Parts: sequence; C-alpha cells; structure tokens
Amino acid sequence: MSIYTRTGDQGKTSLFSGERLYKDNIRVRAYGEVDELNAVVGLLAAVLPAGCDETARQLARIQSDLFHVGGWLAAVPGSEARQRLTAITPEFSGRIETWIDAMQNHLPELKVFILPGGHPGAAQAHVARTVGRRAERAVIALVRQEETAQADPSLSAVVMFLNRLSDYFFVLARYLNKKAGVPDTSWNS
Amino acid sequence: MSITPSHYQLTVTALQWLSADTFELRFDRPEGFSYEPGQKIGFRHQDVYRDYTLLGPPQAPELAICARRLDQGRFTPLLAAARPGDRFEVSAPSGYFTFQSASRPAVFIASGTGITPFVAFTRAGVRGFELLHGARAAAELYYSRELAPAARRYVPCLSAEPSARTYPLTFHGHVTQYLAQALPAGIYDFYLCGPGDMIREAIQIIDARFDGSRVFSELFY
Ligand SMILES: Cc1cc2nc3c(=O)[nH]c(=O)nc-3n(C[C@H](O)[C@H](O)[C@H](O)COP(=O)(O)OP(=O)(O)OC[C@H]3O[C@@H](n4cnc5c(N)ncnc54)[C@H](O)[C@@H]3O)c2cc1C
Repeated sequence: MSIYTRTGDQGKTSLFSGERLYKDNIRVRAYGEVDELNAVVGLLAAVLPAGCDETARQLARIQSDLFHVGGWLAAVPGSEARQRLTAITPEFSGRIETWIDAMQNHLPELKVFILPGGHPGAAQAHVARTVGRRAERAVIALVRQEETAQADPSLSAVVMFLNRLSDYFFVLARYLNKKAGVPDTSWNS
Repeated sequence: MSITPSHYQLTVTALQWLSADTFELRFDRPEGFSYEPGQKIGFRHQDVYRDYTLLGPPQAPELAICARRLDQGRFTPLLAAARPGDRFEVSAPSGYFTFQSASRPAVFIASGTGITPFVAFTRAGVRGFELLHGARAAAELYYSRELAPAARRYVPCLSAEPSARTYPLTFHGHVTQYLAQALPAGIYDFYLCGPGDMIREAIQIIDARFDGSRVFSELFY
C-alpha cells in the first residue's frame, strides 16, 4: 500500500469521524502535536541508558496511550466513530503518577533549577517534556474553543494526562542521569 | 478474560469465478472469529502482505472475500489458484471502514473490487443508501443483484461500455464524473472505496461541490 495518498494536497484532511477540515484547524493541530510527542518518545526509548527495562516498558505504554489520545482527538464529540475508540479516562494519568512516585523515591529533593541535558536519554526526556507541554497547550486551545460550541468533558482527562506526562518526563530526566552516573547541571544565574 | 488471537488459519471451501478475472473465495469460519461489516483480513505469503475485505454476512458459517486476479500481481494469481482444503494464514479482522448511521443521506462510491465493503454493509442490513457502482462493463457489476434492491438509488457507472443499460439509472462514465455532474448539491456522508486515483478525485469534487459533508474512505491500492 502506498503511503502517499495525495488526498491532502489541497490542504484539507478527513477526521476519523469523517469531517473535512483544513490542516491548520485547531483540532488537527492538537492531534498533530500529540503525534509529534509520540515520535519524540520513540526517540527517547531508543537512547535509554543500559539497564532501564522498566522505563522502556513504561515508554511503550505511553506510546500506545498517546495513540489512543490522538485517535480520540481526531474524532468529534458525540460521533459514532468515537464509540469505537478507547475513551481517555483519569486512569491514564493515574498510571503516570504511580511511575513518578516510584522514581522520586530514588531521587534527592531538588533545591535548584537544573539545565535540561546530561545523558542523551535525559536530554531527550527534556525534549519530550517540552513537546508534551506544547501538545497540552494545543489541547487546551481546543477545549476553550469547543466549550462554546460543544462541551467535551472527556478532554479534561486528556489535559490531565498530558500535564502529568510532562511532570513524568522531568522526573525521568533526573532519574536517567542518576542511572547513567551523569550529574545534573544546576543553573547558576 | 477471553484472548483474541492475532492470527487465524483459514481453510478454503470453495472458489467461484464471477467473471474472467474476478472470483469469490470462501473459507471455513474458525471458532471465535468475529468481525464488523467493512473490516478486512490480511493474508501473508512469504514477504507479501495483502488485505481483503470480508463480504459477510457477519454471522454466516463461512467467510468470503472477492478479489480480482492480476496477471502481473504478486499475490492474486496464488489466491486465484486456491483449491478446497488449502490453508492460508490471515491476521485477525481489523479496520475502521464501517457504516456509521447518521441523519444525512449516505452515498457509497465504489469502483472495481472496491464494492466489497458495501456488500458487507448490505448483508448486515444497511439500507436506503445511494450507490455509485463503478465498473468497466455491466458484466463486472458484481453483487448488483443484492445491492440494487437494498439501495435507495442504485447507479451503475460504466466507463467502457457506452450502450449497456441493465439498470434504469445507468450512467455512462466514471463514478467521479457522476459525482461532478449528476449528484444533486447537498450535505452527505460519503463512503469511498477503490483505487487511490478515484478516491483522490472524488475527495476533490466533494470538497468543491458538497461542502460540509463527511468523508470515509478505504484505499485499495
Ligand atoms: C484495506 C484494504 C482492503 C482491500 N480489499 C480488497 C478486496 O476486497 N478485494 C480486492 O480485490 N482487493 C482488495 N484490496 C487490494 C489487495 O490488498 C491487493 O492490493 C490486490 O489484490 C493486488 O494484489 P497483488 O499482489 O496481486 O498485486 P500487486 O503485485 O500488489 O499489484 C500489481 C499492480 O496492480 C495494481 N492493482 C492492484 N489491485 C488492482 C485491482 N483490483 N485492479 C487493477 N489494478 C490493481 C497495483 O497498483 C500494481 O500496480 C484491499 C486493499 C486494502 C488496503
């Protein structure tokens, strides 16, 4: 099967629920940012330090969950297409919280700002954190626009998940530096 | 908790030619095999992987697909030579090209073997749609005898047989020409299935002439 369908050459795309939208539409942007985040997480998984099997498993789960989030955003509220998808629930962020807590047990309390970087895995975790924040902003823009048109309470679980995910990547960056024996660089303003 | 297998072994029960190059292939239905009308299965043979839409009906004791044999094709000559008792490994049914009920009129557009998901919809009880059924000649309007009575309007679009008139609404030209010239303006749910060129052209016409419509598409090749 060919990957270049060329159906989008006129600047529009079809939502999963069938609507035709311009590709700069706020909904298309939102799931595009989630897609980018997923790609960044893939790169992060590829550069983990040795001995991080548990983290690798977590990242695989996050990638799968991000697929669900992207699909959910690509269908409009109330559509039949959405009924066929996995709904985003608060459990998505609950899982992340558990993982954050587990990592934090191994880390000293942070008293200073640290520069994003260190081991390639940690540096990439910071990239994931910032791309995740952008995805979160895009979804919030969608929520605020849809509030007036069609309320979509399920999006609050998406926002919560993305918010928690960025926290996770911050803690993961420190955790990976610790695992790799690379000290965090504090910010000396 | 039940575990759904990711692959099945299918045993061929019958092969029936519908024309000189197009055939229907039937298989025993493995236990626990279930699918939604419009979903497809993937056949794997060496490094070749090809999808085929299940014809339905979904509760039938056999599974059926319809394919066109391409002389230069890598997989269809093999499929066309299948005999009862032959086995194929297929992936579990998957895909999202399924019918979504809506208040707007549904227009199905198929060309060639792209008719298969619409046969599946019809066999699952979907009615009242308009079907633009594209083929070169009337003899290639596979399944028209069951599709025509189920449709609100059944419009065969014949691209290479200018005089045939088997159905009252027969149009001479491609499905996309009918879409551009003859379908009344309106807001529809379009379901497109067939080759990429047809789907691309149809979507351009839909964006230009039927703004506000929804589009669901399945690209065959
Ligand atoms: C989701 C999905 C569902 C599909 N369902 C069906 C189905 O129900 N029935 C079906 O027949 N096919 C279906 N297809 C197409 C099928 O998977 C194969 O691509 C097709 O049968 C050709 O396989 P091949 O290996 O023989 O030819 P290939 O070696 O892949 O192709 C040979 C050449 O023929 C062209 N070609 C491919 N198919 C056709 C065709 N039907 N008519 C004219 N030219 C063609 C190709 O572009 C290529 O240039 C489906 C594809 C997808 C992605």
